Amino acid sequence: MALSKEVYQEFEDVVGKENICDDPAIMPAYYNTEFAAVLLPANTAEVQACVKLCNKHKIMFRPICTGWSGMFPKGIILMDLRRMNHIIEINEKNMYAVVEPYVISSELQAELMKRGLNFCIKGAGSNCSAMLRGHGHMDQTTSGDDRNHLAIEWITPEGNIVRSGALGSSDEWFCGDGPGPSLRSILTSAVPPGVTPGVFTKAAIKLYHWPGPAEFPIVGHSPKYTFSEIPANMMARYYSFPSVDKMWQAELKLGEGEICYELMGFNVAMVAANITTCNEEDEAMFNRLNKETQGPGFFVIIAGNSAVDFAYKKKVLEKVVKDNGGKSLKTVEDPELEGILMCQCIRISASIRETFRPGGAFNSIPIMGQRDLTIKWAIGAGEAKKPLIKKGYIVDDGGAFFGWGVEQGHLGKTEIFCKFTPSNAEAKKAVETWQQEQTRRAFTEKYFASTMGPQDEIGPALLNYNLWWNKTIKAIDPNGVSPEGGALV
Amino acid sequence: MALEQYKEDMGMCCRCSACKFVPMQKVKGSEFSYICPSISRFNFHAYSGGGRVNIGTAALKNGMNYTDKLLDVVYNCQMCGGCDTSCKYAMDMEVLEPISEFRMKCNEDGKTNPALDKVIAGLKKTGSMVPAKGKRGDWATGLDLKNATKEKVDVLYHVGCLTSYDKDMQKLAKSTAKILQKAGVNFGIFGDAEACCGGRAYQMGYKEDFLAQAKKNMAMIKKAGVKTLVTGCADGYQAFKVLYDQFDLKGDLEVLHISEYIARLIKEGKLKLKKKVDISVTYHDPCRLGRLGEPFIHWNGKKIPGDRFVFDPPKEYRRGIKGVYEPPRDVIKSIPGIKFTEMTRIKEYSWCCGAGGGVNESNPDFAKWTATKRIEEAVSTGAEAMVTACPWCEKTFNEAIKESGSAMKVYDIVELVEKAL
Repeated sequence: MALSKEVYQEFEDVVGKENICDDPAIMPAYYNTEFAAVLLPANTAEVQACVKLCNKHKIMFRPICTGWSGMFPKGIILMDLRRMNHIIEINEKNMYAVVEPYVISSELQAELMKRGLNFCIKGAGSNCSAMLRGHGHMDQTTSGDDRNHLAIEWITPEGNIVRSGALGSSDEWFCGDGPGPSLRSILTSAVPPGVTPGVFTKAAIKLYHWPGPAEFPIVGHSPKYTFSEIPANMMARYYSFPSVDKMWQAELKLGEGEICYELMGFNVAMVAANITTCNEEDEAMFNRLNKETQGPGFFVIIAGNSAVDFAYKKKVLEKVVKDNGGKSLKTVEDPELEGILMCQCIRISASIRETFRPGGAFNSIPIMGQRDLTIKWAIGAGEAKKPLIKKGYIVDDGGAFFGWGVEQGHLGKTEIFCKFTPSNAEAKKAVETWQQEQTRRAFTEKYFASTMGPQDEIGPALLNYNLWWNKTIKAIDPNGVSPEGGALV
Repeated sequence: MALEQYKEDMGMCCRCSACKFVPMQKVKGSEFSYICPSISRFNFHAYSGGGRVNIGTAALKNGMNYTDKLLDVVYNCQMCGGCDTSCKYAMDMEVLEPISEFRMKCNEDGKTNPALDKVIAGLKKTGSMVPAKGKRGDWATGLDLKNATKEKVDVLYHVGCLTSYDKDMQKLAKSTAKILQKAGVNFGIFGDAEACCGGRAYQMGYKEDFLAQAKKNMAMIKKAGVKTLVTGCADGYQAFKVLYDQFDLKGDLEVLHISEYIARLIKEGKLKLKKKVDISVTYHDPCRLGRLGEPFIHWNGKKIPGDRFVFDPPKEYRRGIKGVYEPPRDVIKSIPGIKFTEMTRIKEYSWCCGAGGGVNESNPDFAKWTATKRIEEAVSTGAEAMVTACPWCEKTFNEAIKESGSAMKVYDIVELVEKAL
């Protein structure tokens, strides 16, 4: 549905002629949707003015950052936030950074590493917005989810500017919960500026100590960048265990010891994807690693603040692994591959190679909660993948799942993928069915309740949260101009 | 290859936006993190590698949806291949190839750019991509160079259109001739008979005109019995080395860029750089000498049905890593007195000068904008001068410098070598 000339002109007056387009030829570049127009606002004021216009004319809108996927109703305004790509502030003393939505994680992280700081790079990859809420490989020390959002500047669906936390009563960004309004339950967007209605225009991100170098010593050419040497105070290893229980016990002990910079419950399929440069190599490496492992495992990075600290962490790691019958994967001990994996997991957050490269698409069931419980569910979900592997619908990863400790194992994340070719309709259907069945099973067998599951069953079990959420949304978006669209990165 | 043949490659795009940036490991901060000039300047996703590929997918499904905006997207791209390299860090799929095919499809359908049509009309008439004032070989008057159409030579120096005709660029041809003479190389030129390599016509989407030039050139080269061709232009290098091979026209002709040849002459002791050149420099990798100068890989296979995007026989992707990166650096570093510093974006993830893909002709402001960004990066190194290895880069940088008032100097590598002789 095209905008009328007059309405188009109103939006153009806000963003400028160069920054609005309703030409149908460019729409497929975004998604398979006919947008009324695409806007490129440059700042908070322009976003606010555009949102107010959307309310005035009752036009729905959605913001996006770097992209990935999303659901976009036909005829909406798409707000591409690409021009809002500035790091506003890096506050070393109070350990936060304020960013606009289109600052990618890789940019922010590179600036932070120079200052001895780091932050949570989400699993979506460092090519995505630094502002995203979510989990990533470094959750063990950098935590994840809304823990890392401090004050936020939010344009509500009606076009009001709300500044949460400390920003609500001062010009400081250090806290998300006060002394101004917290709004944490509303600003709960899984992937801002997506699921929470409205638009996040700036956010303060919590920073953490970085014991590694200011810049990794990368040599070589794409797609095989390696380290000239492993930093002296860092080490990366993959350990496999005789059983899930042993692996879990080791995870707990390492968490108690607080010695891991990163503890990533990779399966070997994901290790193979990350250290290889093409699909053929990936498949061969997976078969090789499979023979080296004795069972489920995880990937660990330790980083010392001094030589003594490093030696201590290494000693504790080796003891815990030994106590639980763990075995180090020799392939990853090769310094070249160790460096690649270290870099992939810290700087890249791995994502593209392990998700999209094999077939072009993947579906996933992610869950945050008690690791031991979610692992039990994931074993079943992995078994349920095997018939799909046998039929050639999905990439053979041995039916594996993965997950990792958050905040030294205080919490945990578990996830399971199916990677497939989107042009294969049968495969796509089979994966969707698997996803629905396993999400339902998680609920009916009382492992967890995923909001991706059947709402009519899950809602009542969770205090009708969905009805409350809908009421809240209706109150803050009376004109219904800011539709929910699912995860968006 | 037609666009249709890249259907599955284009379908692999996960819209991750990696094509907009240098490979993530190489992002060194908030500055100089982008690789694609087009998305950096025009901002709509359609101007990125991924956006272009997605438009290609839609075109295969629904037909070409020609609008002015679509053509603006198509022709505001330097075809520099940065998106292709960044994507292929993590993915196995072609990016630049379908973008190039899309442009050729526009050309076939008569949806061309008037400025480029004018250039190609000139090519057809004069055999040159730049206005041909005077004779092509005039620059060599008085230099006593061999005419390779008449005399047997070991090396043919293919000068290129811009260097031959542009009065400001002819100095590069003269420097090159002086260097080759000093090294005692038995070389010659085609002089007035030299013709455009056709490479820039290919970038612009005029495949047939490229092929006409390529066939003409190879016929002359075979007739002259030339075994080794040296070019001073990155476009020429890519055309002779990569594109001619892609269309099975190159045969066993050895193609070298002048920087490669000078590096070889130095290594063999035939060229000695003795004079001190007291200057601090940084080096700009021309796209078509670097990532797009990677040799062509002949491959013909089929996708293996199933869950993975794999082929029989396995496909070796051209990821931009086997271009000419070290020889120009080796040459620069061998010049006494030179202080050399690298820019942030180098080699396979270098930022384009702005002149490629016909942008120099179709949108000179965008070309200059792109060059200005590179000059800012060069300035950030503290160097006094940028060294490059392509006359198109030098010309575009100088135009941008003139407009911006920057103090940065620009040299072609042969100019510095000549100073050191």
